[in-house]
Amino acid sequence: MLYSVRFGIYEDVAMPIEDKSKSLLPFLSSPKLLPNESEAEFQSGLQSLLSELDNPSALAVALVSQLNECLWWIKRHTVDKELILHEAMARLLSKAGSYSETYDNRKVSEALERYLDGSADTDEAAWIEDILAKSKLTLSDLRVRAFKDAARHIKMVDDLIHRQHQTMRHLQRSIDSIDYKSRLIKRMDLELAALESKKSVTGALILDAKPS
Amino acid sequence: MAGKRVSSQNSRKHGLNSAPEFESSFEYRALVELIAEEGLSVFVCADIALGLLNYRRVMDAYYDTYTNPEPVDEFLRDANMRASNPIFSELLSPSGSEPQDVREMAVFFASMQRQERRKGGPVSRRSSDTHKLIRYQRNGIARLSRAVRQG
Repeated sequence: MLYSVRFGIYEDVAMPIEDKSKSLLPFLSSPKLLPNESEAEFQSGLQSLLSELDNPSALAVALVSQLNECLWWIKRHTVDKELILHEAMARLLSKAGSYSETYDNRKVSEALERYLDGSADTDEAAWIEDILAKSKLTLSDLRVRAFKDAARHIKMVDDLIHRQHQTMRHLQRSIDSIDYKSRLIKRMDLELAALESKKSVTGALILDAKPS
Repeated sequence: MAGKRVSSQNSRKHGLNSAPEFESSFEYRALVELIAEEGLSVFVCADIALGLLNYRRVMDAYYDTYTNPEPVDEFLRDANMRASNPIFSELLSPSGSEPQDVREMAVFFASMQRQERRKGGPVSRRSSDTHKLIRYQRNGIARLSRAVRQG
């Protein structure tokens, strides 16, 4: 049965929990989104993970919510890796030719962004190509040099992504252990019920067999 | 050493260095009660509730650190140090300073500028600040996972 559970500051999230009052989430702080992030995407990820649960107990749902947050952090850090690289590329270009008026030229950065995603106009594209030519760099050279310059920070972001992966492994093992236990209890309940019914049938047969 | 000091300052700011007092909170009691419905012992429920609250505390600090990185000092970062030498001379001349003083001042500011540039832009800074909380997340999840699996 689907219930709508209040999920922190966000919209109500439909969760497959048997009883709304038994959710742990209202007693835990909620993962927060950045202003430019899609709440719908965040919740759809959560729903998709929740639908994988065999037995959506309150504890399992709380753990899955943490798992979803880890996935979200991986996305954020992956974007950051690209941003750091872009930052370093723009800085290298800013230093080139006669465009070195500031260390971190925002104009170069924005023009490079448009150039890379193909939305730069002819003048802007020519300008970037001119700076590249003056720096005696191709686009791939620039990327390689920027990667080298930003290696320390990129390594940090890789560490952050790796940490989220490790955290997810811990959470998966925890969820598995709860799910396995509940499956085991269910199986034992079924076996007990089967034994009891078998016993009662045998008992009835014995009673039937007794001469009256 | 400096890295550890900064990390320690960062975690102190978020209270991660001090032992949390969850047991007296309403949330803790509610969590223990709800987890107990899964058929786990009281001790295990208490451990799981503490693990969850502690993990959330770390992740809240993680988010706060990520969203509030050390600001970039654009003036220092973009300043042209060579062009600043006459300004330093001008500043120091009323006190009758030697040219050596001007050079020392220029060296000092150049070193500050290098440090500022080394920290990178806002994205690099937020990554580097968040990186300092990795060990708290590692310990937090290990504690939670241990609590859940012991049940």
